[in-house]
Amino acid sequence: MRDVIVVGAGGGGPVVAKELAAQGLDVLLLEAGPRHANPRDEWTTFEDDANNPLTGYLRWGPSDRSKPAWFREWPQNSFVWQLSGVGGTTQHFYGNYPRAYPGVFEGYDGADKNGYDVDHRFPFTYGELVPYFEWVEATMPVMTAAMGHKEQTFFRGAETLGLPVQTTKTTHRPSYRPQENAILQPGGTAGKTASSELLVYPKATGCTFCGYCFQGCMRPNGAPRNQFAKRSTDNSYVPMALTANVWARGGKPIELITDAFVTRVHTEKRHGVLTATGVTWLSDGTEHREDARVVVMSGGCTENPRLWMNSGLPNPNGWVGRGYTDHFFDWVFGVFDDYTGNPKGVGSSARLDYPPYGGLENVGLPPALAAFAGTLSDSGIRGQYKNGRGQTGPWDGPAGRVMGPELKEVLSHGLDRLLSVLVITDDDVEAQNRVTLSALPADENGPIPKVTFKQRKRTARTLRNREFMARKAAELLRGAGAKKVYRIDWAPLILHVQSSMRMGSSERNSVLDARGETRAVKGLFVADNSALSNGLGGPNPTLTSQALATRTAEKIFSTYFGGDPWVRSSSPVVSTDPRISVRLGQLGL
Amino acid sequence: MPVPDPPPLSRRAFLARIGVLGAALGGGGLLARSVIAPADAATNPLLPTTVDLIRPVLAALARDTLNGLTVFAMPGPDPYSRTQGTPSSTPGAIEAGATDFIINSLDNFVPFPDAIAQPVGAALVTGLADSGIALPGLEVLPVELRRLDRALAAYLQSDEALPLSFPIAGLLNLMATQVNPLAVNGPHLSPFARLSYAEKAKAFELIERTDSDLVALLDVQFPEPLKASVSGLLKFVGGALIEFATFGAYGESAVYDKVSRTLRARPIGWSHTGYQPHGPVEGWDDFIGYYQGRQKVSD
Repeated sequence: MRDVIVVGAGGGGPVVAKELAAQGLDVLLLEAGPRHANPRDEWTTFEDDANNPLTGYLRWGPSDRSKPAWFREWPQNSFVWQLSGVGGTTQHFYGNYPRAYPGVFEGYDGADKNGYDVDHRFPFTYGELVPYFEWVEATMPVMTAAMGHKEQTFFRGAETLGLPVQTTKTTHRPSYRPQENAILQPGGTAGKTASSELLVYPKATGCTFCGYCFQGCMRPNGAPRNQFAKRSTDNSYVPMALTANVWARGGKPIELITDAFVTRVHTEKRHGVLTATGVTWLSDGTEHREDARVVVMSGGCTENPRLWMNSGLPNPNGWVGRGYTDHFFDWVFGVFDDYTGNPKGVGSSARLDYPPYGGLENVGLPPALAAFAGTLSDSGIRGQYKNGRGQTGPWDGPAGRVMGPELKEVLSHGLDRLLSVLVITDDDVEAQNRVTLSALPADENGPIPKVTFKQRKRTARTLRNREFMARKAAELLRGAGAKKVYRIDWAPLILHVQSSMRMGSSERNSVLDARGETRAVKGLFVADNSALSNGLGGPNPTLTSQALATRTAEKIFSTYFGGDPWVRSSSPVVSTDPRISVRLGQLGL
Repeated sequence: MPVPDPPPLSRRAFLARIGVLGAALGGGGLLARSVIAPADAATNPLLPTTVDLIRPVLAALARDTLNGLTVFAMPGPDPYSRTQGTPSSTPGAIEAGATDFIINSLDNFVPFPDAIAQPVGAALVTGLADSGIALPGLEVLPVELRRLDRALAAYLQSDEALPLSFPIAGLLNLMATQVNPLAVNGPHLSPFARLSYAEKAKAFELIERTDSDLVALLDVQFPEPLKASVSGLLKFVGGALIEFATFGAYGESAVYDKVSRTLRARPIGWSHTGYQPHGPVEGWDDFIGYYQGRQKVSD
């Protein structure tokens, strides 16, 4: 009998595991994929080797890469980028840690208060979450991003839009700024040389500007795991959870089991109340079962609903899996005469926020991913067909795929003379965008999920926001000096995932209560992006998700273990703490 | 024993449109005579079975079709790019090994469960094409055609796992002959590879059209509830084929050595784009400071 079992070691689960381990609870963390314990022996910097969704080391599939990936049904042209393995999608993320816009919380009273998804706000105030934002920001740590040439180019464009520079953590108005990100600032030789001999820890500390965020961070070379520049959870929260006894008084290290796919959450009626009792997982085809006082689902926006349904848990209001938000991304890029520095440095170190419409950020990509990004579209192929869309605007020609001879010409102009902008939409929670179980065959872990996005039938506000932000992206690129600007009109590329098990104030359209516990099953909590109430207005979700997971950990501790909350009364330990490095070394981790 | 009726014209048209007829008996002529004249095979136990004989035909057809796809993503100096009407003097997808990349991905790594493969196989065995398109070059002897069809059926109904590249090629070829019926004949093995760049785009337009029921257009019989899933799946497949073809063409897979985890040569996509001219790095000297000198913010 464990105190707590956490299902999934992605962006959210390790936060709960680490926080409760620090309080001395007995925590079991189960992860469906591998732990990449020795990235220097397991990883490269190559796109196909790393990112191929079928075969890459960062894919959604079992550890054994000779076996097929886990198939998921997407009944539309789209791509849901799930990852297995310790770290989950933080393994390939860019470490951006903006806070959610205040307008998506209850009690917001700004002049633009009616511009947000007013029917699906967080069931508490922005101020309530601030201490948790601060706690996570100090733990990671979150810093102001260093600038490379692609950021300089982005800022040159942003400066022409008549917006102020944001110099606070909280976003109060349309503005632009360097990212606040979970990337250690460059120190020593980092960022100042391309010489491999000089880029060795501790001569180099923090970000070396290698440009391989999407392939997984293992730099500077020679650094302890918890000193790698990018603070994915495999570099931050998981090392802390595994070493909780050395940095937290009374702390108890978690047990981490990898290649363990949870297939069922068990429940029983206690005093007439349905209560979680434990989980079953599959490991190498063998079933294992353990009981716990509390179970936390942290498998992500697609897998949590699947696990819920495969466990036969009740879904009285039908909202399990519904309300999936994805920021309805789009992709706009410019071709420049001059050097832009793409794809060097952190994947994305500059952003523009535009509440209540969404935001923009620059993105550097290597060649195959740049080609992929240029050909994922709902608007056909430029110059050939428009698939019923092909929007026109301040970009050149209709939106659509840049394909074949045109793609070759554009990319041959030089990857480092392009600048790409990710268009992030403040999208509404909608019941129709959802996870259900597929009619296609089950995999070894049970019936598979089907992820449906009705991208053309989204709310008028969502569609308007996307068009608004796409125009801003094109204007920014023109302002930065782009000679030609392309809009792709992406088909859903689902990388920012939120709210499919949403927390809300109303029993009619939420799965979780305001404490993060499921309304239908006591002792069962959800702590990851799926617990978010909405798409946050557009900011990248990890910080808010981790802040909420920290708050949920406190609620678990106080509700089920009789403990006191700690965030307002103590100071966090930073995840780069040398005691963690030493202990990881002793454990051979 | 009475001789069975030759397959109807609509079956002949279907086999022509998915490319099998041309590859096996037409310009391709890849099918061994022993299948066409099985009397020889029947009396000679050393000859391979019809399944063994048709398998390489279908593999060659799939490869040819997917060559037509990858040059659509990244043209080069090869014959497929010339046929497409967009030749390029610099290396393209063929030189970048993108066709191998696609075939390997489809056949070995896309989970293709039996519950889908079996209806797909059955559909290919029974598929008819009565779309009213006049197809040239169908004057194959009925007896030859019947034997080809039986060989195909024997293969598709065998216990062998169906490589996904074959039905994908069949889909592209069906769409190709919808766009241009003349594509049943010509250079290369497959109708899709015979299309111009604009015609290939039209074929994808048919696949992607969100208001059409592609399953109905294909005249393929799937049981419910799979039918709705397959219809949606095909829309996904249309986009994924394009994205995977470009990802493969610009990536390193053709020159990556899995054992040493290094590159044997500079990838084509890197040369075109100027990506990391001296190979992988530990870092770059691209740090130019902090915007407006600000290293920290707070509320």
